[in-house]
Amino acid sequence: MVSSLLDRKLWRDLRRMAGQATAVSLVMGCGLAMMIMTRSLIYSLESTRQEYYEANRFAEVFALLKRAPNSVAARVAEIPGVAAVQVGISEQVTLDIPSLDEPASGNVRSLRDNAPPELNRLFLRAGRWLTPGNRREVLVGEAFADANHLQPGDAIAMLLNGKRQELRVAGIVLSPEYIFESRPGAALPDNRTYGIFWMPYKELASAFDLDGAFNSLALTLAPGASERPVIAAIDRLLTPYGGRGAFGRADHPSHIRVSDEIRVLHILSIGFPVVFLGVAAFMTNAVLSRLLAMQREQIAILKAFGFTNRQVVVHYLKFAFVMVAAATVLGGGGGVVLGHQLVGMYHRFFRFPSLEFRLDHVALPLAFVVSAGAAVAGVFSAVRRAARLPPAEAMRPEPPASYRPALVERTGVGRLLSHTFRIAVRNLERRPVQAIFTVAGLALATGILIVPNAFRDGVAQVMDFQWDTVQRQDLSVGLVEPDSARIRHLFAQLPGVRTVEPFRSAFVRIGFGPRRRQLGIQGFPAKLMLNRVIGSSSQEMVLPPEGLVISAKLAEVLGAKVGDDLEVEALEGKRPVRTVRLAGLAEDFSGVAAYMNISALNRLLDEGDVITGASFTIDEAHRGEFLRALKGIPRVSWVAIKESLRENFRQTTAASIGLIQMIYLVFATVVAFGVVYNNSRISLAERARELATLRVIGFSRREVGAVLVTELVILALIAVPLGLLLGTGFATVILREVNTETVRLPLVLTASNYAFAVMVVTVASTLSALVVLRKLSHLNLIGVLKAPE
Amino acid sequence: MGAAEVRALAGVDLDLFEGELVVLLGPSGSGKTTLLNNLGGLDVPTEGELSYRGLDLASATEDELTQFRRGRVGFVFQFYNLIPSLTARENVGLITEIAADPMAPEAALDLVNLSARLDHFPAQLSGGEQQRVAIARAIAKRPEVLLCDEPTGALDVRTGIVVLEAIQRANRELGTLTVIITHNAVMADMADRVIHLSDGRVHSVHANERRATASSLRW
Repeated sequence: MVSSLLDRKLWRDLRRMAGQATAVSLVMGCGLAMMIMTRSLIYSLESTRQEYYEANRFAEVFALLKRAPNSVAARVAEIPGVAAVQVGISEQVTLDIPSLDEPASGNVRSLRDNAPPELNRLFLRAGRWLTPGNRREVLVGEAFADANHLQPGDAIAMLLNGKRQELRVAGIVLSPEYIFESRPGAALPDNRTYGIFWMPYKELASAFDLDGAFNSLALTLAPGASERPVIAAIDRLLTPYGGRGAFGRADHPSHIRVSDEIRVLHILSIGFPVVFLGVAAFMTNAVLSRLLAMQREQIAILKAFGFTNRQVVVHYLKFAFVMVAAATVLGGGGGVVLGHQLVGMYHRFFRFPSLEFRLDHVALPLAFVVSAGAAVAGVFSAVRRAARLPPAEAMRPEPPASYRPALVERTGVGRLLSHTFRIAVRNLERRPVQAIFTVAGLALATGILIVPNAFRDGVAQVMDFQWDTVQRQDLSVGLVEPDSARIRHLFAQLPGVRTVEPFRSAFVRIGFGPRRRQLGIQGFPAKLMLNRVIGSSSQEMVLPPEGLVISAKLAEVLGAKVGDDLEVEALEGKRPVRTVRLAGLAEDFSGVAAYMNISALNRLLDEGDVITGASFTIDEAHRGEFLRALKGIPRVSWVAIKESLRENFRQTTAASIGLIQMIYLVFATVVAFGVVYNNSRISLAERARELATLRVIGFSRREVGAVLVTELVILALIAVPLGLLLGTGFATVILREVNTETVRLPLVLTASNYAFAVMVVTVASTLSALVVLRKLSHLNLIGVLKAPE
Repeated sequence: MGAAEVRALAGVDLDLFEGELVVLLGPSGSGKTTLLNNLGGLDVPTEGELSYRGLDLASATEDELTQFRRGRVGFVFQFYNLIPSLTARENVGLITEIAADPMAPEAALDLVNLSARLDHFPAQLSGGEQQRVAIARAIAKRPEVLLCDEPTGALDVRTGIVVLEAIQRANRELGTLTVIITHNAVMADMADRVIHLSDGRVHSVHANERRATASSLRW
């Protein structure tokens, strides 16, 4: 009975402090939402991937080689620790998609006629499997099919080893090998121009001259077997067959991309919630300390009536728990909603048979425990102080607060300060912890706004670099196969052409020591007008007559430096293997690249004066005419229109970044608003008497408001620069974490990014302060003067 | 619970004059504080007339009331109500910052014999000293009206006398209309006029032939 009356007091007190309790719950809720969202996303991605891998038997070790007879597979299977082996064909192909006026290429994999694959089994999304014995059928990866609106029954043309073949799409599929379906080395997926395809082994084998042989291998390990010795054994076995180094899942491109995302989520799942909850814990402390100060007499009476310390402590801890419970509900709901949104975003990048948001069931109780812990840590000292109060002591009003001149005043500038300013700085100095946490909250709000915008600006810079600095053409045209350089004259005569620049690209594998990377070498004329190669000091490079220029990142990955001899193995044509001097390093951001003088490249490939395409600038007025004319040239395989690539990229990426910006914006606003609201409500409550006195002795409401606002302004002036610093740190760490061989986002911090963060925090804080200042008009001028509280 | 109308004051008809010292006496609930709040522009009467030198306080806007308090009225409260974060000198200086023709904070504090405690914070001052700072703060703007609400209510006799002396001195030297409300009848002796309130009405008005000095009072 008694405790239920105490509970009634609890509810009434809570209702009186509803605003502040809500602010605390919201800030705490933000931290929890972030935690529940990230942990659930980690759980969703990890468990979905794991299930997918298990159900579709994703291999554990992979290897590519030049060519080995199928009988080698049996020898691989004998290697200790190998459980199941699957061999097949994997080849690069060029495509002609009717609806696409841009380059398309892809990777085509083989499927055995007689049985479903042992490993890396496909998931059929639409259509049907390949009919055994039925030629000219292909299965298409879902990402490419979606991007090009391909459906079962549609026709596509594929250049298999230079021979054009008309194929019919039998089905749309997914593969555990291509959760992230992207051109090797590309930073961001462009699913319209790169796809994965599956065809019957026999057709591929005859097209690529691999009858009875294979050039790709995948295997699973026996339970308990260790990966490293197996990889070493495979490398020894495959070397005579042109083996290119076996690798485990940790180096598998698609696996890495999902793991990278999970890794970033792990950082977010700990970093941000810790800061949010820290701020929330302090806010709880501030609110409860205030309540306890107000209720000194009530505490004394409760104790005088015989309530134990424990009962008093529990009563006040319940306040914290109500706020924590509200925060858990808010954070749980928020986390689930945001998690669903982000899973929607992941659908753009990651292809699973089904990726559902899965709530990490541990996250919710964990969130409650963590925030309850934070709250208890926050309120414990205040509550214990109250519990220790002897009843008689508690009955007396609190002694007047002691103040002293603030530090800034002691430096001698004190005389210059107005009284309002002095009141503000002395109050801040008397409550340093409260000031520090308000600063921390505002700095956090400022800081988290920097991150998504730095991301956006980094991506924008990469794209601008790519499309404005490196590629200055309006469009590029690729040929079906290398052609005589004389086709250049034909190109030059097309309508609307302003400039033509030929290029020669060739797929190669570049190796240095034990490390190898597969990529395309771009061969350009010595004097470049449209395409440019940018050197390490952002200077345009002149391609040397001999030697190779590669991305600085590629050199780092290979462990090579300028002057070293690289092994270059052509993966097309006569497939010569040559040694080429590393002549220079290029600066780029997405993926890795290699450049060579076009003549040197042709010599390296043992070919004459050939090109594989050309870049153009054209008169916009004649663009339609130009494209129509191109269609009349049968040797043209693809056309890349820069603006449409750019637009496509902008749409997909902008939507994803926009979503993340929105989430961070909401969090930042809530924190800034909540922290300022709480701080000013507490100031207002603690100093109602002082403020009312000022009003009575003739200060206008505005002047009294200025006393409170001055404090906030001082705090904000400290917090915002700190927040910008903090945000710079967040952005640096997060970008460093996502930077890999395939994506390297530069850290771009623009004035407008900083300005936006400052603006959001300023607006949120100002609105919050205004809400509180409105309460100044309800200040009870008469009542507050009558008796000390 | 319905809101029953309670009249704090009814039928109060009163003139107060420049330079006089008035003591308002009455038991708790007699309406003295309400009257003082109305006089000081903290509150407006729901009906009736209230004017100060041509300014209609009964229908004044909030801004006009703020200006009135700021320019003409000094308040002294039972619980001093100093700004805890400001020193004695600064508490007084706060007012001189917004007043039209203030005296120096030091001069005001000298008037209440606190020249030695200029740079002490309220927490470092005794109750009587805090109250004298409050009086210095009230008189530093050279107010035309000084309103004191139970100025000695929280003080012992000896300290109370010192505070009353300071009020009396301000009244005498600055010619300020001073109104003290109290339930301590002894203070009536130091007034020019004593007004008794009960049940929200003026019960009696009594003029003293001779004002007693504050130092001669005992209770």
